[in-house]
Amino acid sequence: MEENLSMPAKEQFAWVWLSTMLVTYAAYFTSVFTIGETTALTQIGLFAATTVVQVLVIGTVSAVIAVRHKGGPQSDERDQLIDQRATRAAYQLLICGMIVVGCLMPFNNSGWRIFHAAVFSIAVSEIVRHGLMVSMYRRGANG
Amino acid sequence: MANLRLRNNLRLMRFLSNEMTQAELGERLGVTRQTIAAIEAGKYSPTLETAFRLADIFQKPLEEIFQWDKESA
Repeated sequence: MEENLSMPAKEQFAWVWLSTMLVTYAAYFTSVFTIGETTALTQIGLFAATTVVQVLVIGTVSAVIAVRHKGGPQSDERDQLIDQRATRAAYQLLICGMIVVGCLMPFNNSGWRIFHAAVFSIAVSEIVRHGLMVSMYRRGANG
Repeated sequence: MANLRLRNNLRLMRFLSNEMTQAELGERLGVTRQTIAAIEAGKYSPTLETAFRLADIFQKPLEEIFQWDKESA
């Protein structure tokens, strides 16, 4: 196996997304549970800080990856297949989360609890999506 | 995930084509080098279009490059 050393651009993107989401959302939810009840401004600040860090890290690293892979195909049929499969699985999770957040939680929860549950649902679906992508790149995308 | 129902002789075909590299083949096909490696390793089954293009590049019939393993299907 001569040239199996480097990863395709899309796999590198998936790793960046996965690691950034894991670290930032872990920090975010740890802070949320540690702080407990607090002002709206603190909650918004925490969420904004998390989002800004994600945008900066993912944006910067993605730009570096794009420059490194300039000239070659950015994505091909295998990348598209992996993306489709991972997105389909993550979508099911997201829909389940949104049903809980939008249809069940309003009856016995309020405000920030619902907000955090929605963010949690999005975070889990994104982590699952990119985790599945990484797994399919490593283990194969057949069957 | 990985199954080997579709086997291929891509490595041999590359060897017979003056040891064509995965990168060269990928470039001609319009796919990444890693996709060629995944096809060779049986981790990815290419689309029918890509399979026919491979046959065209190597000037071989499709079934000489890809074989369907009935036993494990």
